[in-house]
Amino acid sequence: MKTVFSRIRFRDAGTLLGLILISAVFAAQSDTFLTTPNLVNILQQSTINACIALGMTLVIISGGIDLSVGPVAALSAVLGAAMLVAGVPVPLAIAGALAVGVACGFVNGALITWGGLQPFIVTLGGLSLYRALALIYTGGTPIFGLPDEFRALTNGTLMGIPNPVIVVGVLAIAAWVILNKTPLGEYFMAVGGNPEAARIAGVPVTLTKMAAYMISGLMAAVAAMILIGRLGAAEPTMGTLWELDAIAAAAIGGASLMGGRGSIPGTLIGCIILGTLRNGLTLMNVQAFYQLLATGIIIIVAMLIDKVTSGKEG
Amino acid sequence: MQPRLSLSGVTKRFGSVTVLHDVSLTVMPGQVHGLLGENGAGKSTLLNILSGVLPRSSGALTIDGAAVAIASPRDAAAAGIAMIHQELQQVPELSVAQNIFLGASLRRMGGMIVDRSAQEAEARRILAPLDASIDVTAPVRSLRVAQRQIVEIAKALRANARIIAMDEPTSSLTPAEFERLVVVIEKLAAQGVSVIYVSHKMDEVFRLCQAATILRDGRLIGQVDLPQTPVARVIELMVGRELVHVAHNSFATDRVVAQVRGLSRGRAVRDVSFALHAGEVLGIAGLVGSGRTELLRLIAGVDRADSGVVMVNGVEVAGTSPRARIAAGFGLVPEERKRDGIVRHRPIASNVGLPAMRAFSRAGVIRRAFLKARTEALMRQVNLRPLDVTRPIGSFSGGNQQKAIIGRWLAAGTRIFLFDEPTRGIDVGAKAEIYDLIERLAAEGRAVIVVSSELPEVIRVSDRVLVMQEGRVSATLAGAEISEAAIARAAIPNRQTGTIA
Repeated sequence: MKTVFSRIRFRDAGTLLGLILISAVFAAQSDTFLTTPNLVNILQQSTINACIALGMTLVIISGGIDLSVGPVAALSAVLGAAMLVAGVPVPLAIAGALAVGVACGFVNGALITWGGLQPFIVTLGGLSLYRALALIYTGGTPIFGLPDEFRALTNGTLMGIPNPVIVVGVLAIAAWVILNKTPLGEYFMAVGGNPEAARIAGVPVTLTKMAAYMISGLMAAVAAMILIGRLGAAEPTMGTLWELDAIAAAAIGGASLMGGRGSIPGTLIGCIILGTLRNGLTLMNVQAFYQLLATGIIIIVAMLIDKVTSGKEG
Repeated sequence: MQPRLSLSGVTKRFGSVTVLHDVSLTVMPGQVHGLLGENGAGKSTLLNILSGVLPRSSGALTIDGAAVAIASPRDAAAAGIAMIHQELQQVPELSVAQNIFLGASLRRMGGMIVDRSAQEAEARRILAPLDASIDVTAPVRSLRVAQRQIVEIAKALRANARIIAMDEPTSSLTPAEFERLVVVIEKLAAQGVSVIYVSHKMDEVFRLCQAATILRDGRLIGQVDLPQTPVARVIELMVGRELVHVAHNSFATDRVVAQVRGLSRGRAVRDVSFALHAGEVLGIAGLVGSGRTELLRLIAGVDRADSGVVMVNGVEVAGTSPRARIAAGFGLVPEERKRDGIVRHRPIASNVGLPAMRAFSRAGVIRRAFLKARTEALMRQVNLRPLDVTRPIGSFSGGNQQKAIIGRWLAAGTRIFLFDEPTRGIDVGAKAEIYDLIERLAAEGRAVIVVSSELPEVIRVSDRVLVMQEGRVSATLAGAEISEAAIARAAIPNRQTGTIA
């Protein structure tokens, strides 16, 4: 009989071990770290990055990169907020905002597949383009006055767990199912692992890549909804450097930037590691500059460990 | 006269495999010396040893009577040996002069600054007798292949090469460009430079070379004087006698399953038509660059044809993507497994199930247990070792990877198998297994196309052989007509008609 532990992949176990080590250090240093409110706080603060990182993981596994997630989130946020303020029913406004995210992903995917351009360059262009659209649309000023009905959705809890954590949990399960249980997941890994072999084996390469970028756009829009619900306002400048946190989380979790490899549980743990680090260092009154330093060191150490141990799991 | 280059008793082993046995080669000053043999005969290995890319396991090398130790390409250059590869090794964005002086730039101001004008003047001086029309300041990218070759020769002369080895220099030249190359080579020879000329084209070899050394299966077969030796005799020496005949079982029927009509793509494939029957194994032979692989890729939908149609059971196949062709019943087992065949990190089951992932799914979810069981059953049929379908395919040997790719198409219900060099990079034991698998596919009524540059392989597996030459089908051989000599004769372009006895 297979136990739960034997099912956990070697690489994910390593990421988890890293989280446990970091947590142990903070637990020893701070009395408040290991309290339930603080742990819930960490999860809540990790939700936005987790949301982005889930989409990013699928894109990275399919051999691409999406640098445009922050601005895509900002554009969905301001358009969604404008609809909410204009009195559009909440479910419809959310659907509209999510559609904006998917549309941005479609544009990225179309330029990469049909346009034959490199993902890095396309989404770097998108990084400016979508940000500019958000700024132009709002004239650079935030949109205030989101209806309470909407804010209640993101600020509510279910059995003590914040709604955003539940939403991200559900999305993570969905992403895991897609990656591990559906043909599309096999296609992501095949296209990222060897695009030419995948094409010759009859994999619909174009559709696969399109799907990855559209899911990434969708996830950026979900993150945007969580953030504007929490803040009560939509800023066109939100989401700056989100792409880097998401790539860092995916990489810590075992995604290979060469494509073909990555793990949904790994990415989630990677997000929690980054969140824990920020939370713990804040509790220890470490200056923000040193928090940045610590984040950088964690990413590099994770990659070095990866390099040294690579090959242990095929 | 003292030989310019003398190799004696050169042997090369890779591990326990000996690829060159006791080969000797003598080239006189100013001589153009042909190096002939089939693919895999050891020509490239010999050239690599000569140019310091590979160390030799044993044997002696002398230049102008003095023993020379060559352990690196740098040593070879210092000894006056230059190699002109089939794939020219140039930096396309740099100028002609910069390429000629690559790694040996002329300097001024105490070596701080590259002296471009001196380089350009020197490059012009070297190029003048070869091809004065080449602009030394133009980027190499802007030159035609023939001109790039001249630049490469100029680079060799700049390094004071006394021996220039050319590997298939005319594979992408037009007849007019070849004529110009002949003039250049004759000039080199007149200056006392020795040229080692590797080519499959008999007319060129007979035109240029005063002597030729013939290799087969890594052994020296002999040295002949040219042009007095008859072409037929040279071909006979290259291909050798008929190999021991391995029983070939034919399962070919009269039922046409696929037809190719007028398939063309650029200069690579020109107006190729043939029919393929159920249970038939059709071999496609020809020299490197004759369009075999390109033809197969067109049929498989990997590349797009300029014109022509592919029909299955009398109906034209719509769509040219691999996906469309797979749906029509084709499956490609590519030559470059690593590049075109496998997804290295993924398990055998995922690699096998890839084209048929939907068939292995229910309600959009892959039935893992079913996929695993089916893959295991198929892998037992093809004798995968070890029989563990959860291991990444990259951890298996080449032969086992090949079996998995064959299994992939069995899983997808492929009716027409397209093999490109089915045993490339596969050890001898697994080779026989692959041949047996091909025979079994035919016995099951599937149609098989096998592209191969190994003549014994083509002869062993094929019921019928198409021979290609410069993109066209030059002969179709069946039954008793199939022999190494017949294939070689149809494969080798011979512009001087009448020289074959």
